[in-house]
Amino acid sequence: MVKIQLKEIVFARSGDKGDVSNIGLMAKSKNIYDFLVKTITPERVKEHFKGMVKGGVEIYPVPNIESLEIILRRALGGGATCTLRFDQTGKSMGQALLRMEVQVDETLLKEAEITDKEILRRYSPVSRSNGQPIKR
Amino acid sequence: MKKVRIGSGSGFWGDLLEPALEMAERGDVQYIGFDHLAELTMAILNRMKTKNPESGYIQDIIPWMKKLLPISVPKGIKIITNAGGANPLQAAKEVNKIIQELKLGPMKIGVVYGDDILPYIDETRAQGWKFKNLDTGEEDIDRIRKDIVAANAYIGADLIIEELKKGADLIITGRVSDNALYVGPLMYEFGWNYSEKYIDQIAAAVTVGHIIECSACVTGGMSNMWQVSERPWEIGFPIAEFYENGEAVITKTQGSGGIVNPWTVKEHLLYEIMDPANYMMPDGIADFTALHLIEEGMNRVRVTNMKGKKRPDTLKVCIGYRDGFIGEGLAFFPWPDALEKAKWAEQWVRERFKCLGVKFEELRIDYMGVNMLHGEAAPIEDKDFNEVGLRIAAKTKTREEAEVVRREATHLWTMGPIGVSFGIPLDVRPVVALWPSLVPREAVRVESHIMEVNK
Repeated sequence: MVKIQLKEIVFARSGDKGDVSNIGLMAKSKNIYDFLVKTITPERVKEHFKGMVKGGVEIYPVPNIESLEIILRRALGGGATCTLRFDQTGKSMGQALLRMEVQVDETLLKEAEITDKEILRRYSPVSRSNGQPIKR
Repeated sequence: MKKVRIGSGSGFWGDLLEPALEMAERGDVQYIGFDHLAELTMAILNRMKTKNPESGYIQDIIPWMKKLLPISVPKGIKIITNAGGANPLQAAKEVNKIIQELKLGPMKIGVVYGDDILPYIDETRAQGWKFKNLDTGEEDIDRIRKDIVAANAYIGADLIIEELKKGADLIITGRVSDNALYVGPLMYEFGWNYSEKYIDQIAAAVTVGHIIECSACVTGGMSNMWQVSERPWEIGFPIAEFYENGEAVITKTQGSGGIVNPWTVKEHLLYEIMDPANYMMPDGIADFTALHLIEEGMNRVRVTNMKGKKRPDTLKVCIGYRDGFIGEGLAFFPWPDALEKAKWAEQWVRERFKCLGVKFEELRIDYMGVNMLHGEAAPIEDKDFNEVGLRIAAKTKTREEAEVVRREATHLWTMGPIGVSFGIPLDVRPVVALWPSLVPREAVRVESHIMEVNK
């Protein structure tokens, strides 16, 4: 087992709906998804954000895309149009969640690394064009 | 099998225009949807309309249509836009003038309106309906009634379909849900209606609409794929290739920059939604937990097995009301001891506010570069920062009090610690708070008609 931050094993993106901050958490492998379902609880998420989340936390599993939808209520200082927060629409909330520390089996970390490498291999513009300039 | 190619040309007010023009030129699309309305936008547009009855729509559509229509009209691409905002009729008149100037007629403009429920909101309440606040649970709008500046229902695709059936070449709407800009053309093309028979097909259209409606947000913008996005400065906007069997391929304009892959589609499926099994839109409820994503090739993701439920009996309504003012100030402190200087300045400002006896509804002070974004969730590093900013923001009942915040923050520039750096003062801004609620579908008096444009 190793202690890591969530950023090693998931992707996150967040936005807003009124005073709700919604975070999509995407596992980098099926086993990581199973781990998230067991590990990421509403209590733990609320505790992670300290006083930033004033309301309840709900977590919805989305197994078909190996992701979680996390709903943080009363988390944006009243909502985008009246909040005093600089990040009015909570775009940085998902990244804040990536700081959470978890204990994982090393195999999960390896699987995440494989996914990261595969993304670079498959999609980086250089590898896609085989080193040639990309034609428009 | 019949397929329809539909693209997103705009995801918000102020979006890039070039990707939409590029899509019209070589995206091989039949429809392009343009969303310009965010929650706050309707309140701004309503205020404009109160000052000048001939405004209240997204004025950007005038220069946009001048560039777009000469490309889209000869190709027969239909534009569906909610740029009508608070005044779709005036927007249609303006676009009518452009079509005549450019000699692109004859054309039919479909105009969809009646989403503004403010004129009869008290009548609806008198009939027993309560506008409960979905965020706070507050039962009705009595407390804010006198401060309401906008109340718009998010209407569905019904009347877009109606106008397409009448032969509309271009549709301009008010607060139609972003999603309906895409669901409308798909339902029209495939001949679907709201009966039980087409529930999953409509849910598929709702899902696909959700995936593409924020333009660049599914093609590599705001994405975890930011490091592998191709020529992101020439980002392309998304196109859905929708098949009669209820499957769709998410892609983008051929040759454009950006990226579409299963990760960008996942990111957007999960974006700004509540329960993923019940994504509620005026035209249907989509279940995102059943679908499958298949990467068919570079920048092509197929979405299959989309399911859902019948459309709800209520429509979402967004009520905007005046709720005081925000005053802000910024100052920056350089190394050495940047954080200590910022803390000193925070105390200075707090003491000044005490001396002046200003009352705030709320006061917030952040250290930029230290904890402004992640707040209490971020540890403060023990180091000598290169620079730290101080952001002071306060919410007040009156504009005068908000001005005090702004002024005291600028005094810090000459009375603060050594090295304080500053830019220009920030303007005080009025706050329009939002009250999300529901309204019975049949209580919303929607209307639509065709405006004929002559040669």
